Amino acid sequence: MGGLYALLGMAIVLVCKATQVVSLAHGQLLFFGAYFVWLFYNGLGLPIWIALPIGMALTGVMGMVIDRLTMRPLIGQPIASLFLMTLALFMALDGICKLILKGYSKTYTPPFIATEPMYLATLMIPPSALWGFGVALLIAVLLGLFFRYTNMGLAMRITAEDHLVAQSMGIKVKRVFSSVWFISAMVTCIAGVFMVFNTDIFYTMPEIGFKGMIVALFGGLESLAGALLGGLVLGLLEGLTAGYIEPLVGGGMREVAAYGFLLLILLIRPYGLFGLVRIERV
Amino acid sequence: MRPSGIFNTDYGKDQAAVWSRLQWVILLGSLTLLFIFPLFASFWALGVLNFIGIIVIVVLGLQIVSGYCGQISLGHGGIMAVGAFVSAILTFRAGLSFWWALPISGISAGLIGIIVGAPSLRIKGFYLALATLAAHYIIFWLSYHLPLTGGTAGTPAPAPTIGNFAFDTDFRMFYIIMPTMVLMTFFAKNLMRTQMGRAFVAIRDNDIAAEAMGINVWRYKILAFFIACFYAGIGGCLWAHWMTIVQYEQFLIWNSLWYVAMIIIGGMGSISGVFIGVALLKMLDELVMWAGPILAGALPFLGTMPAAALGYSAFGLILVLFLLFEPKGLAHRWELFKHSYRLYPFPY
Repeated sequence: MGGLYALLGMAIVLVCKATQVVSLAHGQLLFFGAYFVWLFYNGLGLPIWIALPIGMALTGVMGMVIDRLTMRPLIGQPIASLFLMTLALFMALDGICKLILKGYSKTYTPPFIATEPMYLATLMIPPSALWGFGVALLIAVLLGLFFRYTNMGLAMRITAEDHLVAQSMGIKVKRVFSSVWFISAMVTCIAGVFMVFNTDIFYTMPEIGFKGMIVALFGGLESLAGALLGGLVLGLLEGLTAGYIEPLVGGGMREVAAYGFLLLILLIRPYGLFGLVRIERV
Repeated sequence: MRPSGIFNTDYGKDQAAVWSRLQWVILLGSLTLLFIFPLFASFWALGVLNFIGIIVIVVLGLQIVSGYCGQISLGHGGIMAVGAFVSAILTFRAGLSFWWALPISGISAGLIGIIVGAPSLRIKGFYLALATLAAHYIIFWLSYHLPLTGGTAGTPAPAPTIGNFAFDTDFRMFYIIMPTMVLMTFFAKNLMRTQMGRAFVAIRDNDIAAEAMGINVWRYKILAFFIACFYAGIGGCLWAHWMTIVQYEQFLIWNSLWYVAMIIIGGMGSISGVFIGVALLKMLDELVMWAGPILAGALPFLGTMPAAALGYSAFGLILVLFLLFEPKGLAHRWELFKHSYRLYPFPY
């Protein structure tokens, strides 16, 4: 799970770096990504290597539409109202999500990855852990290469630095915003698919988006590496809590541990582990 | 701005909140109407009004801390739960009278609020929003795991009594809820006109500038959280005794989000906006509840959950539209309207 939290965290950090919006709507993108892929995989019976890219592209387009319709009119508004906009989007999409699922859950049948656990000597490794971690690492490396070597990546890095500077260097900041949302939504889609490939797509899935926020805040909102680390730490924390503390105090402790951990981090380092410490002026 | 023909001849008049005879008439008239309304109201209307009254108290608190002091809190539903549970436990388990439990639950919620608000000294913006969300999750979890709260079954809250007279129906509870609401509104309205209220606004607009002007930011942020959570505690207490049972399910994370939605729709930093926002969203809720089954009958392919799902979507969509087209809320629109009719027929 940790790797997938890391992916989600990275998606949120991506948007935040470029547009300075902390997005809650990614929880919904997570659901819709998984659902789109399900639609093509189970609904149309396409093989997974076709269904996954189509689902990713659709989620990406959805991210772009969100940016175009709801985020762009708010450019220049206080950041709080942008945050509240993502909250409103979360609510609006949540209804659609529940309407689609109608109270049932969806599963990828047959599962497209072997679900039997692998054994390393006596250590059991569940496939979700392995795949989650592998995919997260792969995406992180790909994103790193993208930012390092492509023109678009360079444009995004400049935009993250300063919108005005980027604009005056001839970078189309609005287009950068759109493509950042596109990429971020695609990453979210992958995270969503691998999160549920051996369980259910259920209507509580969007609430994982809140956990993505924890991950993003843990590492600092400007740091992709921080999100990667944050995801792994959160996954580990949840696993340990589920294994050792929950039998003692009862269910639901996982969320409490995650949020308590977040509170602790915020109190000790308000800008996350690797975040930029902002110096404010009046 | 005063309409023509009304002149301020002394400072008292300049500062008055209610400054014309017509306003007094309207105020007293609407209060009278409010209090004789239950004599004619249907059961449904009474329930809706009681709900609105309680939520107005809670959202007034949120308005103070988020709208006036600028500290966005996503944990207000959790604080309300604190008030509700404290009151239910005090009256049901300790046998205390409701009249003692009401202020105690408010104060204890306020104290919890100080703990919840403490991170605001170091963090702000969405970092703080997430921290208060964390607080909500922790309170929510505690509310069904502590043995004192009765677990998932909840705690019953006996009806308030005076002598042998029990406030055990919607009709009777109305006369506890509404006076409390009017009193709390009066306090909130006046509090925001004092030095404290102005300090809150200064912190909202720029906390560093406020500090440079000599405002003790630390003290006022904590104070804002205390007052806000006091309101939520009082609201929670009334909620408990109106519902007659307190259960963890009444304080989901959605409630906290809806309260934020209410102040956005009503207008950030406006007391009358709270009334507009709460009433509008409750009406929408009722509309969805009414339309849901009809829609489900007409469009069977939607499945069994359209009411809840449509409710979420409608709330979200309305919020999106408000943020896009009316970011200052309906109270702002109302102010503009007042300006224009006072100036009529002149443009400015």
